[in-house]
Amino acid sequence: MSKRVLPVILVIVSSLLLLGLAYSFFWPTAVRPTPLSAFTAPFVYGHFQIPADNPLTKEGVALGRLLFYDKRLSADNTVSCATCHLQRLAFTDGKARSVGVSGKELAFNSMSLANTLWGPQHFFWDGRAQSLEEQALIPIQHPDEMAQDLDQLIDELTADEHYLKLFRQAYGEINAKNIAFAIASFERTLVSANSKYDQFLRGELKLSADEELGRKLFMAHPDVKASLRGGNCIDCHSQFLTSGFNAKFDGFANNGLDSDSNLKPGLEKITKMKADRGKFKVPTLRNIALTAPYMHDGRFATLRQVLDHYDQGIKVSATLSPLIMEATNQPSDSEQLQISLNLSEDEKLAIIAFLHTLTDYTFIDNENFSNPFPIKRVPHE
Amino acid sequence: MNPVTNNIILSVCLVIGLLGCSKEVEQSKTNKAADEPVVKQEVTGEQTKAVVLLRGLPTLNTVSSVAIVELDPESENFGAIISEFETPDINSNAPLHHLYYSPTGRLYATSLDPLCSLTEIGLIRDATGAPMITGVDCLDTGGQQVGEDIMWHSVNGTQYMFVTFMGGTGVDQADGGSIGVFDPQSNALIKIIQARKSQVAEGEPFIMYPHGISAFGDRMVVASTIHPDLATGVGNNIAIIDLNTFTPIQNIVVEDAKPVGFPSSPVEVLFVRPDIVKGAEPAVLVNTMFGFETWKVPYDETTKTFGSPVKLYDGVEQGTGVPLEFYGNESELFISHALPGVIKRYHLANLPELVTSGPDIAADPGAHHMIFYPTQSGRQVIAVQNNLLNLGNGADNDPTDIDFIAKVNAHTISVHDLATSERLATIDFKARYQKGIDNIEGLFGSGFIHHH
Repeated sequence: MSKRVLPVILVIVSSLLLLGLAYSFFWPTAVRPTPLSAFTAPFVYGHFQIPADNPLTKEGVALGRLLFYDKRLSADNTVSCATCHLQRLAFTDGKARSVGVSGKELAFNSMSLANTLWGPQHFFWDGRAQSLEEQALIPIQHPDEMAQDLDQLIDELTADEHYLKLFRQAYGEINAKNIAFAIASFERTLVSANSKYDQFLRGELKLSADEELGRKLFMAHPDVKASLRGGNCIDCHSQFLTSGFNAKFDGFANNGLDSDSNLKPGLEKITKMKADRGKFKVPTLRNIALTAPYMHDGRFATLRQVLDHYDQGIKVSATLSPLIMEATNQPSDSEQLQISLNLSEDEKLAIIAFLHTLTDYTFIDNENFSNPFPIKRVPHE
Repeated sequence: MNPVTNNIILSVCLVIGLLGCSKEVEQSKTNKAADEPVVKQEVTGEQTKAVVLLRGLPTLNTVSSVAIVELDPESENFGAIISEFETPDINSNAPLHHLYYSPTGRLYATSLDPLCSLTEIGLIRDATGAPMITGVDCLDTGGQQVGEDIMWHSVNGTQYMFVTFMGGTGVDQADGGSIGVFDPQSNALIKIIQARKSQVAEGEPFIMYPHGISAFGDRMVVASTIHPDLATGVGNNIAIIDLNTFTPIQNIVVEDAKPVGFPSSPVEVLFVRPDIVKGAEPAVLVNTMFGFETWKVPYDETTKTFGSPVKLYDGVEQGTGVPLEFYGNESELFISHALPGVIKRYHLANLPELVTSGPDIAADPGAHHMIFYPTQSGRQVIAVQNNLLNLGNGADNDPTDIDFIAKVNAHTISVHDLATSERLATIDFKARYQKGIDNIEGLFGSGFIHHH
């Protein structure tokens, strides 16, 4: 090799090395999060859909869990998602209506986050979010809930090296979309599938006589002519998930809480249709014994009050569910002055006994769902 | 090869003669009935997917399997296998036979394998929500062999899983047959209902080669079909079982002409009852596999007595043979006839009489099991599994799909418009997967509500 060629080669090689270093510095490595391949779910819960642009990944779920429990997501750093969604209460808060940073009572009762992987589509009591990703950012920005400015939040998170690293591993940059993606991913992993009822479904145990009677009543629409007694629950709460049905707005119903003059807008606020006035999302009944008080406004403190409502307390209105209107266990030739299931005392207690089989203690004790703070190397919390 | 299997296989050969007269045999099956809400297909949004039992074909070097397939003719994936679990440990000449979902959503399959005649199939969802088959567990049947039909039914407030075993407690018994009573939670065997003709007094009720099963209140009906070896004996009656005592109380002969020279071989039964058709006069419908007929046996609920059988349909007159299954949706009853491969349809409201409700569905030879579902666009369709018999003839290494039952094994699923009966699409499993198709069940609910 000539002496004149060698320097040229050295220059070229050096240039290439510098170029490579510059590329790696200014162009971050492509995000390659780890698919959550070990994740499985019960077959009977049915099909679920995860957005193609937000697949379940180990890094995304871990980041979402951190964000879910991080109070920096609120304006004054006092409220996190977990403030109104406590794991020990199946991710509800035990209040009739939740209270956020403003100190005002919110319009609605905190909904359980169990099994949101299956939807049903349209989240919140009035269905105002079409996806978990959309849902995730709404409370953060709501002035009475977390009142956080998203730009401010992004600045705060960007100032935290730990978050910088986690976002880089999961999604790339820190932005509102990726915050929503991470929280939605974590929420999708909140699967409650090991209650006594699940163990019954898997054939691992038998229910007690009361629980079994309650299960049968839960699953039956009453038919007096066929001598079939029923609690009429399954008409709105599906057989396995016990949540509302998925098709269109089938998962919303007016369950007779108020008469016409007192009907709240509910789903009407979203669809702008009068026929949807007073309809609210049918919630999952998974862990229902832990999620008192009940209904969208938390008006019932106990399951007994809920059963009494369905049994004797239905208020007629224009949009009352026809499945409730016609459900009775009383022969039609008897005098029936009001809509009523006419359950016996034992039947009501049996349904409540069955509802208690929906409590999943492994769900509320699952460390993967718990508060990850304090975290080493994270200056906050 | 064990002697039992050998017997089955050798006997299959004998049937070649029986089938050679161009009238055919069968094996049948199917699903569900319960006294509580059954699995609803609308729960999952997966109505267009089905679970199928695929039979390996020895000359094509394929292995039997349980598979999930896409059946929406409007889908690009029509006919694609979504998940498959091979079953090499199940006797390849006596494979899994009929699929059933329990009322709590557990999937079972009966099996012709004497060493594994009843199984539970594992299902789960992966991280994308897709269904996966995780395994096939053989259940303890207490020695009962050759599982056929399953029915979940409550007796005095207690639910049981009833399974017919055409081979009873041993296929070497010439007059065997039993009904296994299982705990639907633990799958534990509770009782074997058995009354062999040779072991009861002359004229006393017996149970022989039970296959089809149906029940109403405390009365259960099973059809006496054929010895599992398809040669030792053929039945011609239904047996009535008192579910208060789990004992047979009556045999009713259901037989008229013998178009193929054999006893009528009742195969599937359907107890028409008020929870199927409001106000219906209770009666048992019976399809006779070799009689080519459908019969009605009236039932008086008050006195709990059965009347004389009445022939409702004569296949010889109508040009059909080997009637097999009863399936009903909310408005119609469907009966499959393996020959020439057709589904007849009747008004549900007129049961137990058979009043035609629409044009025949021209399926393929071996027309057998079926499911109902809407396509992506909402079109209501029926998918028919067209294969009659899934026994293999391993003795002479001559797979049954190739020779003697070729005439009644199309190895296809045909999909038809439910409104017009028009054929929309066909999957040829033999051509596409080198396997036969032995049974079909909706992935999660089949769109039928009356079968047993």
